Amino acid sequence: MLPQDRLDEVPVGAAECEFVRRLAVSARDHADDDADRSAEEFASLADLVLSRSGPGRGRPAQPLPWPGPVDGSAVSSVPTGPPALDPADVPDAELIRVGCGVLAELLIASGPRGPAAGSPAMPRRPLLTRVPAFRIEGAAVTTARLRRRLADRGVVEGGLSPLVLLVGHGLDAMLAQAWSARVQRGSQARWPGFVARWSGRDRLPSSADLPRIAKRWTERVGAGNVHLMVRAGPPAGEVAGLLGIAPESGGAWSGLAPAYRDLSPAEVDVVRRVNAVLAVRTGPEHAAGLRRTLVAELADLLPRRHPPQALGVPPRLQPWARARALRMVEQLGSGGYVVHGDLERIMPRFEQPETRPPGSTVLRLLTLACLDLAGRNEQTLEGEEQRR
Amino acid sequence: MSEPAGPAPRRVLLHVGVPKTGTSFVQDLLFANRDVLAAQGISYPADRFDAHFLAALDLMELPWGGLETQAVGAWERLAEQVRAWPGTTIVSHEILARASRPQVARALASFGDAEVHLVVSARDLVRQIPAEWQENVKHRRTVSYRAFLDQITDPERRSELASWFWAVQEVPDILARWGESLPAGHVHVVTVPKPGAPRDLLWRRFAAALELDPDDFRPDPDHANPSMGVPETALVRRINARVNDGVLANADYRRFVRELLAHRTMASRTDSPRLGLPPEVRAWAAEVSRSWVETLGATDYQVVGSLDDLLPDPGDQQTFDDPDLPDESQVHDAALAAVVALLEEATRLAHSEEQARAERQAAYAELEASRGPWFRTKRRLVAAAERNPVAGFGLAAYRRVRGRSSRSA
Repeated sequence: MLPQDRLDEVPVGAAECEFVRRLAVSARDHADDDADRSAEEFASLADLVLSRSGPGRGRPAQPLPWPGPVDGSAVSSVPTGPPALDPADVPDAELIRVGCGVLAELLIASGPRGPAAGSPAMPRRPLLTRVPAFRIEGAAVTTARLRRRLADRGVVEGGLSPLVLLVGHGLDAMLAQAWSARVQRGSQARWPGFVARWSGRDRLPSSADLPRIAKRWTERVGAGNVHLMVRAGPPAGEVAGLLGIAPESGGAWSGLAPAYRDLSPAEVDVVRRVNAVLAVRTGPEHAAGLRRTLVAELADLLPRRHPPQALGVPPRLQPWARARALRMVEQLGSGGYVVHGDLERIMPRFEQPETRPPGSTVLRLLTLACLDLAGRNEQTLEGEEQRR
Repeated sequence: MSEPAGPAPRRVLLHVGVPKTGTSFVQDLLFANRDVLAAQGISYPADRFDAHFLAALDLMELPWGGLETQAVGAWERLAEQVRAWPGTTIVSHEILARASRPQVARALASFGDAEVHLVVSARDLVRQIPAEWQENVKHRRTVSYRAFLDQITDPERRSELASWFWAVQEVPDILARWGESLPAGHVHVVTVPKPGAPRDLLWRRFAAALELDPDDFRPDPDHANPSMGVPETALVRRINARVNDGVLANADYRRFVRELLAHRTMASRTDSPRLGLPPEVRAWAAEVSRSWVETLGATDYQVVGSLDDLLPDPGDQQTFDDPDLPDESQVHDAALAAVVALLEEATRLAHSEEQARAERQAAYAELEASRGPWFRTKRRLVAAAERNPVAGFGLAAYRRVRGRSSRSA
């Protein structure tokens, strides 16, 4: 970020201008009661946007159109420099790039904080417990949530010769969960590229490779102790039955986040783009803390106006996903495992035509997250000043 | 009586590009001769050959195939060294050409009170365009030559590829972004000599701009950023299409495709047709080059060489060999050369692996021999705990006690 005295000397780009306008629209829609404070916060945020360029590749700052000759045309017949652009015509992709840089800057300024800042470590399994030894494996996000909800009730996986609860969904959904989990660990992979890379290697992410997991556990505990959970809907009730514990009542949640949150594709997209900025701005440990803050911000603090909807496997990769799922069904069907539900549910349905989240949704999330974080950063500063 | 001379001003010679103008050659030479430079009071602050590249990534928040994780804080570290050096410092990397005005302002401000001299090296656009496409191919892109040309000739420059190309190649704009706050006398344009010029002429021009005595350094006469011919570039582009979907990670691509195949194998095949421009694009590029020469000629920038070097030589118009429709027999020959190079490398690596395995086995045997009976007993007990619940319970209890002891120790 530039100091204010240098800021005035740098011409403003069309994308930065337009992003400030989009922030203003979002701020107007979500104005709180303290209008003075909001105006101050907004001015600081606008200065931040205008003082920096979008990170990574993309268009260089394009000047605003003005009547009269442009740079260079006074001397040469060929104008030089990026062409002028009406801010209203800046593509969403450029606004998203600008927004991600600003959001990363705000995160770095705020630092890791709140309950999301610390790693939500699992409690230790009690040495003496009536709950049988068990392990949860499979779909990354579903199992993270299940593991956390059980731990909140004092039911912690572990123990010798465990019952293995292998949770599966349609292969497309498991791939989407694996992508989300990787992004929540710092990956910058786009969804189509993520699927393409697994397809190119004809392999599956470890959490989606159910036959491999089942085989590994069979060698240790026998196929009869490996339970494949492939019913529709959340597996919590069936898991409770298998472990001999009461079904979940619904209220007793510690508030600690699971290792992976159930983010919408647009939310995952924001995290992966910010990951790319954090990777070059700060070290991996600090970036992980900031990422947890961002994930909590997106998952908890922003109103969910867009119901999470999985992304579709790109059409050219669907034959591979179908063949791979078919092979998986055959391998699991002949493994002698205990199956709860129908193995056919593993076959991908390709119900989602979208292979990337809509830019307008990503942009809206970015503006809301920037406003929220900027507001909280200002309040933190005010609090610190008052304490002094 | 004249006043005593004060200390020499702190200065930065800042070379910001453009790519494909001999920049790697200059950087390698400066890095290898840091001690010679220091003895002359000149700093080239770099603890690794790509230190200034990493600083540029940091300044511009640029991802670069994972290398950016090594760039955190690199610009500020470089700027600190500039501020701490009492004399002249040289900073050089060609991707700095792409910096936006806010990034330029931050970079210049970070040098404190040092007097900044900007150096931009430039070559005619007719040679730069094919070189940039080839560079794209060596960075895993699969874009065809025609699509590349269509994108860069789009006046709106809408694509990411076109944005990048013009950001790093449009010399008047780069000079405007980096030089607008500097006196014209502090802005130096080094032109790359036309083909056929003496081999050391480019180095002598760089040395003049960097205020070095060219004879104090011994450039490698064979050093050149290698370029590939038409069939070789077509082959690498086809390889990219096969290895991009997860087959090769970035680090492996850099090692085996870019370095081994492109630089060391394909670029050594100098008999194949060279990459040029189709006639209509050549005419357009020549017109753009003329306009740049006009623009630069109207400034007071210091030109090392001649602005005429930036105009394509009408005499070097060659037959255009389209890399999108290459002679398949030539591609076949290049592919055979690639297979042989890969076989040689695979053999070398296999031998190296065999040797490493033998060394590991010898080391493991030595370690086993040094272990006592108590260790072997513990290992048997741990193995038993995997199968026996009672032993497993005992091991878990032991580990908890040991854990508490360890924490309090």
